[in-house]
Amino acid sequence: MTSEETTESTEAAAPTATLDGTIWAEVDRALSGITASAERGVLDVIVHVPPAEIVRALKALKADATLKFDYLRSLTAVDNEADGIDVVYHLYSTTARHNLTVKATLPPTNLFIDTATSIWRAADWLERETAEMFGVRFNGHPDPRTLLMPEDMDDTFPLRKDHPLAEIEILQGEGMGYSEEDQ
Amino acid sequence: MVIESAHEFETQDLLLNVGPQHPSTHGVFRMVMQVDGEVVRDIIPYIGYLHRGAEKLCETMDYRQGIGFMDRTEYLAAMNAELSYVMAVEALAELEVPDRAQWIRMILVELNRLSSHLMFMGAFGIDVGVFGTPFIYAWREREAIIDLFEEISGDRMMYAYLRPGGLAWDVPTNFVARCRETLTAVRQGIADFDGLLTKNEIFVARTQGIGFISAADAIDFGMSGPSIRASGVPLDVRREEPYLKYNDVKWDVITHTDGDVYARYLCRLGEMRESVKIVEQCLDRLEPGAIMPEKMPRMLRTPPGEVYIRTEAPRGEFGVYLVSKGGNRPYRLKVRSACLSNLQALKHMSVGQYVADAIIVLGSIDIVLSEVDR
Repeated sequence: MTSEETTESTEAAAPTATLDGTIWAEVDRALSGITASAERGVLDVIVHVPPAEIVRALKALKADATLKFDYLRSLTAVDNEADGIDVVYHLYSTTARHNLTVKATLPPTNLFIDTATSIWRAADWLERETAEMFGVRFNGHPDPRTLLMPEDMDDTFPLRKDHPLAEIEILQGEGMGYSEEDQ
Repeated sequence: MVIESAHEFETQDLLLNVGPQHPSTHGVFRMVMQVDGEVVRDIIPYIGYLHRGAEKLCETMDYRQGIGFMDRTEYLAAMNAELSYVMAVEALAELEVPDRAQWIRMILVELNRLSSHLMFMGAFGIDVGVFGTPFIYAWREREAIIDLFEEISGDRMMYAYLRPGGLAWDVPTNFVARCRETLTAVRQGIADFDGLLTKNEIFVARTQGIGFISAADAIDFGMSGPSIRASGVPLDVRREEPYLKYNDVKWDVITHTDGDVYARYLCRLGEMRESVKIVEQCLDRLEPGAIMPEKMPRMLRTPPGEVYIRTEAPRGEFGVYLVSKGGNRPYRLKVRSACLSNLQALKHMSVGQYVADAIIVLGSIDIVLSEVDR
C-alpha cells in the first residue's frame, strides 16, 4: 500500500455530541450490559461490540421492540493487519427502516467468533465466505465448508493483506503439473 | 384377487448431480440433488466456479480502474453495478454529482433493469417449456437497449461509463429521441410477453404454487429484489432509502403476496412497466448542464473512512462496502451480491418439489453466477 497517511482512528473526538439524532440512544438501551461504543459513519451509525458478546448483542438488536433488526444485509471482514480483523455486520430493519453497522474486532492471535446463523439464516453462506477468505472461525457454524474456494484450500486466506497477489501457478506450485523445463 | 402388500413400497434415494455445465443452471452452478423418485429431498449447492477475486483485485487498482471489475461482476446489469461502486466512492470523497448526470444515470440504470428483466423473461420461458418465441422476442427488445448503450458508451456489455463524480462523457445529442424510440419497442415487448406468458396455459400450470417462500423466511434468508417482493415484502432500496432522483418521479413498488414462482414472474413484469414510466419522466426532465463536478482532481483520493452503499439492481440489493485508509485505492472492497443471498433460499424453496420444478425455482431467482462468485 502506498498511502502515506497514518491509519489513525477515525473516531470523532466527542462521540456523544455527534451521535445526537441517530438511533444510538435506542441501540445503547437495547445493548444494556454490553460494553459497546459507537461512532458516526458516512451513512450509518457504527457500533463496536466485544467479540465475546457478539451473539448476545445481535440477538438483542433483533429482538428489541423498536429496533427490530430483522434483516442481515451483509456480513464480511476487514483485515487491519496488526490491529486484528474486524468482522462487520450490516443490519437493516424492514419494518422500522433503519440501518446499523456492527463491528467486532478480533485480535490476530484469536480469530474465533460465535456464529450468527441462529439469528439470521442469511449469515450461513456469508460466514462461510468470510471464514475461507480471512481465516475467521465461526464457532458453532452448522456447515463450515468452503464456499467459493476449492475444498482443499483451507490453509491460506486470499483476502488477508499478507496474502500475495500472484499467479495461480506460483500459489499452487508443483500442483499445477508444470516443471521448470516445460516453460 | 387383490394381494395387499404387507409393507410400504420403499424406494432408495438417488444422488443426482446437476451442473456445473448445464443449460438449466444459467451458468457454472452445480447442485447435488437427493431425489426420491421425482421428489427432491435435499439440495446441496456448489458455487465458486467463477470466483476471480474481484474484491482483492480492486484493492490493487485506483478508484477509476475498479469500475471495470464492477461491469464484469454483474454483467447483465453493469450500469447498476457501476452505480453502487461510484456512489460509494463519491460518498467517501464527498463529491457532489451534477443534476444532469444524476438524471442520465437514472435513465441508464432503469434501461439496464429492463434489459436484464427481458433476459429473464426469455431464459425463464425456456426453463418452463415455452420454447422459442418469448426467447427471440426478449432478445429483440434487449438488443434495442444494448444498441442504445453501445451508442452512449462504446461497448455492448462492459460499459465503464459512470465515473466517480458523474459520467465519462456526455450522451450523444440524439439521446432523448433514441431513448423514446427504444421505449416504444420495449413497451410493445412487455405487452407481447404479457400476452405470450401471463395467461399461457403451460406457463401458469408449471409456475403457480411452485417454490413458495413466506415473507418471514424471505427476510430471514436476506433475499431482496423481485424475489422478496413476490412474497409480499415491499423492500425496495429505491423507495426506502431513495438515491439519485427516485423521490422526484412517480412510480410504484410492485409486490405480490403469493410468494411462488408465478408471483416472481409477475413482479418482474410489473417492474418493467414501472421502469418505462420512470425513464419517461426522466427524459421529460433532462436538461442541459454539466456532467462532472467543476473541481475534479486528476487523481481521486479519499479520506479514511468507510461506507456501505446499497442500490436496487434488477436482482435485488447490490451493495458495495468500501473501506478507505486514505490514498487512491480501496483498502477493502466488498460486493454484497443479491444473488448469493437469494440463492441461499433455493434449498428451502425446492425441497419437496419435483425435480423439474426445482429447475424452475432456480430460474425464478434469476441468478448471475459471476455476481454470486465475484
